[in-house]
Amino acid sequence: MKLRHKGEVDKIEAQMAPMIDIVFQLLIFFMLTLKILAPEGDFNINMPIGQAQADEDSEPQLDIKVRLLANPDGTLQQVLLGTRQLGNDERVFDRLNGEIISIVGRPDSGDNDFEVEIDADYGLHYNNVIQAISACTGKIDPVTKLPVRYVEKIKFAKPRPQSGEAQ
Amino acid sequence: MRIKSSKPSLVDPDMTPMIDIVFQLIAFFMIVTNFEQTQADERVKLPEDELAQPPIAPREQELYINVGFERDKQGNIIDPTPYVFSKEGAKTAQAFASELQMEARVAQTKKIDPKTMTIVIRADAETPTGIVQELIKLAQDNGFEKFALKAKAKALDQ
Repeated sequence: MKLRHKGEVDKIEAQMAPMIDIVFQLLIFFMLTLKILAPEGDFNINMPIGQAQADEDSEPQLDIKVRLLANPDGTLQQVLLGTRQLGNDERVFDRLNGEIISIVGRPDSGDNDFEVEIDADYGLHYNNVIQAISACTGKIDPVTKLPVRYVEKIKFAKPRPQSGEAQ
Repeated sequence: MRIKSSKPSLVDPDMTPMIDIVFQLIAFFMIVTNFEQTQADERVKLPEDELAQPPIAPREQELYINVGFERDKQGNIIDPTPYVFSKEGAKTAQAFASELQMEARVAQTKKIDPKTMTIVIRADAETPTGIVQELIKLAQDNGFEKFALKAKAKALDQ
């Protein structure tokens, strides 16, 4: 009689090939669908219905008005804070930011009643509006590199007509 | 004398390190893949700003509006008219009103108040501001009140 060798153990090998097939397919799928996009952020604005009309009758006490004038080609012509001219150079939004801080008083408080109204010309390039909103809402703390927001309420004024750009 | 067996010896390669690496790659790609920005239109070149931060908590209900220009492969504007890019193609802001109306009706049938929905506007940096304001006005006419303006997060100067 043939005796089986005592030390020999039957080894059952798992089939790796199907798993590797699936895993490679998954890998290829994720590699092909990957889109490298820059992170996007946003600025919230509240525009309750009928607010523009109501504002004309009863003006809020703590309203800051920022007027953005455009050249015919859509570039920035002038930034006005109330009636004060701030210019149109590359540092204009830094100046606007400084002026807003001086009006708000305590930049770190965050919970104030100030509301900024952006009144831009029809043809003004949108990036100027975003820069103005950014300058009005807050700044990046130079030490912590974190955003500090001091005005949360931003709204747009009534849209200006397309032809009435040069005012 | 001992004679060697004629059976060919089968050398199994060790698959474990390869599977480890492949699983790590899959995990990496799964984490990096951003499925949330599928509503973004590549033709829209967003303005950049340091203060533009992604929202802390994701919004429950939002509707994306992409506004921009038709561009060539190099990114140059080929048509100066700004369009709203939607599933139904490129439309002017005024022509987009019907789509907003439809979205408001769909929201109402789903028992969602349009006032609680956020209209996320992704507008090109060179879009005339008046177009964005027109879209906000059209959205307001259909009962939407909350708006968010998208900008690309600019890297901070170190």
